[in-house]
Amino acid sequence: MTTLPVAAPASLQAAVQHPETAHVGHRRNKPLAVVSYLLMLIVVVIYAYPLLFLINTALKSNTEFLVNPTGLVQSPQLGNFGSAWQQGNFAAYVLNSVLYTLVAAGLGTVMSLLVGFPVARGYVKHPRVWQGLFAAMLFLPNTLVTVFQLALRLGLYDTSLGYILIMASGVGVGPLLVTGYLSSIPREIDEAAAMDGAGYLRYLFTFLPKLMAPVLSTVFILQAIGVWNDIILATILFPDQTKWPVTLGLFAFKGTYTSQWSLLSAATLIVAAPLLVAYLFLQRYLVASVVGGAVKG
Amino acid sequence: MSTSTFLAGRGSRAVRLVTLSLAAALSLAGCSGSSPGGSASVPTDPSQVKGDLNIVVSSAAGSDAGFKAVNDAFTAKYPNVKVNFSAVPNENYNQTRTSRLTAGSIDLVVANPRELPSYVPASNEGDDARLADAGGWVDLTSQPFMSKFTPTVLDQIKYKGKSYTVPTGLSYYSGLTYNKKIFADNNLQVPTTWDDFVKVCEALKAKGITPISIGGKDTAGIIMLSIVQSLFPTAANKQDLAKGLYGYTVKLNEGQQLEVLKKTQQVYTYGQANFAGSNYSQMTADFLTGKAAMISDGTWNVGALRGANKVDFGYFPLPASNTAADNASLGGKVELSLGVPSNAKNIPAAMAWLQVFADNYSLFNAQAGFAPSQTGATGDPFYTDIASYTKTFQPAWDTIWIPNTKAGQAAARPFNWEAVTPMGSSDAQAAADAAEKDWEAGK
Amino acid sequence: MRNYIVFGRRSTAQLTFALGIALVVVFSLVPAVGILVISFTDIRSLPYLATHWVGLQNYQTFFSSAQLAYNLSALRNTFVFAIAVTIFQNLLALLIAVLLNQRLWGRNVARAVVFLPTILGVTVIGLIFSLIFNPSAGPAARVWAAFGTSSAFFGDPKLAMTLVIFVQVWSGIGVAVVIYLAGLQAIPSELYEVANIDGATAWQRLRFVTIPLLAPSVTANTLLCIIGSLQSYQLIYVLTGPINPATQVLSLAIFTQGFGGPQGGTVQSQGYAAAISIVQFVIVAVVSLAALAYLRRRETSL
Repeated sequence: MTTLPVAAPASLQAAVQHPETAHVGHRRNKPLAVVSYLLMLIVVVIYAYPLLFLINTALKSNTEFLVNPTGLVQSPQLGNFGSAWQQGNFAAYVLNSVLYTLVAAGLGTVMSLLVGFPVARGYVKHPRVWQGLFAAMLFLPNTLVTVFQLALRLGLYDTSLGYILIMASGVGVGPLLVTGYLSSIPREIDEAAAMDGAGYLRYLFTFLPKLMAPVLSTVFILQAIGVWNDIILATILFPDQTKWPVTLGLFAFKGTYTSQWSLLSAATLIVAAPLLVAYLFLQRYLVASVVGGAVKG
Repeated sequence: MSTSTFLAGRGSRAVRLVTLSLAAALSLAGCSGSSPGGSASVPTDPSQVKGDLNIVVSSAAGSDAGFKAVNDAFTAKYPNVKVNFSAVPNENYNQTRTSRLTAGSIDLVVANPRELPSYVPASNEGDDARLADAGGWVDLTSQPFMSKFTPTVLDQIKYKGKSYTVPTGLSYYSGLTYNKKIFADNNLQVPTTWDDFVKVCEALKAKGITPISIGGKDTAGIIMLSIVQSLFPTAANKQDLAKGLYGYTVKLNEGQQLEVLKKTQQVYTYGQANFAGSNYSQMTADFLTGKAAMISDGTWNVGALRGANKVDFGYFPLPASNTAADNASLGGKVELSLGVPSNAKNIPAAMAWLQVFADNYSLFNAQAGFAPSQTGATGDPFYTDIASYTKTFQPAWDTIWIPNTKAGQAAARPFNWEAVTPMGSSDAQAAADAAEKDWEAGK
Repeated sequence: MRNYIVFGRRSTAQLTFALGIALVVVFSLVPAVGILVISFTDIRSLPYLATHWVGLQNYQTFFSSAQLAYNLSALRNTFVFAIAVTIFQNLLALLIAVLLNQRLWGRNVARAVVFLPTILGVTVIGLIFSLIFNPSAGPAARVWAAFGTSSAFFGDPKLAMTLVIFVQVWSGIGVAVVIYLAGLQAIPSELYEVANIDGATAWQRLRFVTIPLLAPSVTANTLLCIIGSLQSYQLIYVLTGPINPATQVLSLAIFTQGFGGPQGGTVQSQGYAAAISIVQFVIVAVVSLAALAYLRRRETSL
């Protein structure tokens, strides 16, 4: 016998408690599908149009952009991507970015889980205070000045370790998402796993990820975006150019009065591409949860 | 068991509070730093020049290329030095510079210590000036390479009689870039007085040509600076104005000061429709496609316009006065002046680099596109065209004016062009009144 | 709510919890307290310059009459901006997430396109929209011309705020959709099937199944939206400049006063910048915690 985690109309409660009485049928709702496709098309257009503008700009030569910034490109310069890659020195920086992002976002996701689970399950005292702290971490003032001083005094200036630690600590909305999601995973599952002999850490890192795949991958991708796109901390912490992430390669295209907009657009697309690929890859985890199945019976 | 309860219970909060306050206190302590260094000199023995040389400048395509050319010449002469050169965009430059200076990881940096006039309260002193007072910059006054730069330019950037920075080039921006062909086709001469200028604009408007393409918030302010240049031509005139404002003997909403905003408003009427929403790129495009006869721009854009090769262009000062002599000079500023911080780790190499820079200035100037800061250096032929306007270097208003941090925002420049239609919603008088009100609030 | 631990000893859970919290405390909380501390000084973070304790002077400057009128009008704009962005961004993201959660052909393409603005960065988004809303040559101008009018778009003091809100919502929906999609996966599909059996329409499914069960995601997203719109200034800076009265929001005013804009900004000490960051923090904290309390209450009451 199971109950839904939140209150729901009584008929649904009854149906879930006695699944054998529910007749699971599938009627394809044609008008709904048409409306859905239409809405999706509208959304795609609203988003794709400005993005096409960006690609349009990226394909223009510098002179063409100077003469005609808003019009359709007359002679597309695919070579812009090559020049952007070269001028931005991205080849040297890409490995750095990958390292920082994977480690920092990974560490941050682990942190979110380690910190969110005990609060959601009440293993630590005053869970509501901790929840407030998680929320408070979202709106802390800009601490660049003092983080820099801290790193300097801890000997972490100009070290990849320091950068990764600071980035990993920026978990943002991670703990909140984890605690929110956990409210939909019943404690019975914890108990079942414990009775099967699973230890705390084993449960957290082998059982839960399967159940929490959507939220963990979301937490990861959100933090990965933050780390990958960071410019200011890297500029301040790394005098050594060999440690620079790709975002600092974008500096080559920005000027004091004017920037090389077409190359900057091409470079931005290059910098964004890996994140997009990562997001698409993580889509496989954003599917209907396994929780439902585990709840039956 | 007691440890875990300690960690989880109220004890941990106390531990945390103690750590927090300790750490915070630690982070504060020791911010008054090292003992100031003195002067250094260019090493005569090349073997003394070794190690790493860290240079950070604000990025721009032209000057970046120029610096790279000088770096190549430098490494050719001193092979034992590794030059780490990075260019950071303007918006991040201040924070980068501050952090590098604190960490002592920089040898050559863009610096601009502005001497505070006596009438400005000390609270308005900028970072670089304070550093200079505290001995944070290496004194370059008597260095051999300084004599290679134009003396009048050096005089402009001296701080309390000493030179701490090397000028890499100049920009002028109190004028208008104009399309020579459009002027010729319409029998128009370059105007030298305000009345002539108005006639030129009206003539162009009548023919359906946009007299001036204004790039929205990006260049509407330059027009104000150009008008100030004509109404207060010399540095002394500008200093007197600033002194009068700070002494509250002169008001922003009367006399010549009001005239600045009134003329700004009139020039705005010669801009294209809806120019408040335009930007730098669109303004340049309008000029290059011949839609506009003039643009309010600075000479930093010369390289790009030349590269586009679409328009035969020239430059003249915006004549806001009816006395032609007042309109005969262009106002400008020194771009990218480099200084050496006293806590730099490799001062000998920095000095050697500056010597190489001064000796190979033409390498830099050919790429950077600035007006040369060395007499006799050849730059773009454009600069010979405007030589009559740049005989004496006149500093532009924004290099003399130091804003009062205690006054309101409308008095920051202090001429309130942002409020003038169509950039804002007031007319010149109302905008000036608002600025005066905010200025007096800082008394 | 049962509170006993199912996994034997408490210590593993509490130790790892403490480790995680320690990382966050050291690199996030300690620096934040540091900001509070330096807001009472005139620190400039430069070598050779001594730091002095100045007490409340920085705060007094912020609240002084000269700056106050300006900051108040910025505050007004900020609330308009924050409320509009939070409502629209949340609502639209929810609808889009529900839409893209259905098994539609090509939904991954749609998801990717909606996600892309998140990773493009403010500079480029600002570039795109200043091109689109270019008053003389952009596509928006052409649409307006078809109706016989023209507009300065971002230069028009009356229209600028609306457009800025639009761009902010457009670029922010991506993150909200990502979070909602994750939350949607937590809803067992049987509930929908059962609702279908009961004859619920799509709208009723949305109202009685989806939204109640999405409550934690709604909380997270609303909080993010509020905080983001109260703190973010980069987009407004890029689109309408640092000192534009029509779109001046508090976070931008703080940025230009503390870190100086390129033209006409004043060079204050970092202590002053810290003081106004704390003022902003207090405002955001009050609003956010109030919102959080309200949302959590709704969450548990459902």
